[in-house]
Amino acid sequence: MTYQVEPLPLSAIDDPELRGLIEKAEALGVPGSEFARIVARSPVHAKPFLRAMMMSHTEGNVDHKLKEVIRILLARFAEDPYFSRLRSVKARNAGLSEAVIDAGAGDYEDSADFSEAEKCALRYADQMYLDASKVDADFYAELKRHFSEAEIMELGAFIALQFGMQMFMRTLARASG
Amino acid sequence: MRYSELMATDPDAVDDALFEELRKYYSESEIVELGMFLGFNLGYHTFFGTLKFYPIFAPDGRLVSQEESEQIYGAEPASLTEKEAV
Repeated sequence: MTYQVEPLPLSAIDDPELRGLIEKAEALGVPGSEFARIVARSPVHAKPFLRAMMMSHTEGNVDHKLKEVIRILLARFAEDPYFSRLRSVKARNAGLSEAVIDAGAGDYEDSADFSEAEKCALRYADQMYLDASKVDADFYAELKRHFSEAEIMELGAFIALQFGMQMFMRTLARASG
Repeated sequence: MRYSELMATDPDAVDDALFEELRKYYSESEIVELGMFLGFNLGYHTFFGTLKFYPIFAPDGRLVSQEESEQIYGAEPASLTEKEAV
């Protein structure tokens, strides 16, 4: 894949803190080396964004596998080829399969792979950028039946950051790439 | 501003020509800075919109309730409302 702004080679990045974040982004599988080395062109912004993306994905109280399915659902909706093909190493090691990912990013409402709470979280991500008017007071009341307010903020912030960076990467992907 | 608008409304239109135009005015570092900023705002403004909270100050500086603030600022961002009216 080629990009409108190409990733820097790791050898061109001298800042040890930034190099460490890029290596971590690659080891985790998400957000991956290429994204990290593209944003490394603006180091002062790359560092907090990479930290926030990795922390919000791999830490917190919401199940990591559920967040990984949500991330891929959003990437496919954003039609971003880069983030769509990435996979979390942590989620894969925890047993998340491609079949469950496809079920979550597809017709999850009728899937036996997800609990009611997980379906509600998937709906949160699904509706946020499809029809935000449906994410209303009734929807938040339903979310609160399954998740604490802290978990809802964890989910919402994760969804917003992932979708935003996916849309950014979509604009960087060259049509021929 | 064109990059911002197209990322949100028509990302397929962000093509080679637009990046060529961007490069006339901005360095690669600045384009990355802009793109991350735009993506971040694109993601978060929608999320914040679903939470239904509004500015705590009116344009004249008064501290206002959420109900009054919603009436002042409206449920839709003014920029998009104006865009639809054109």
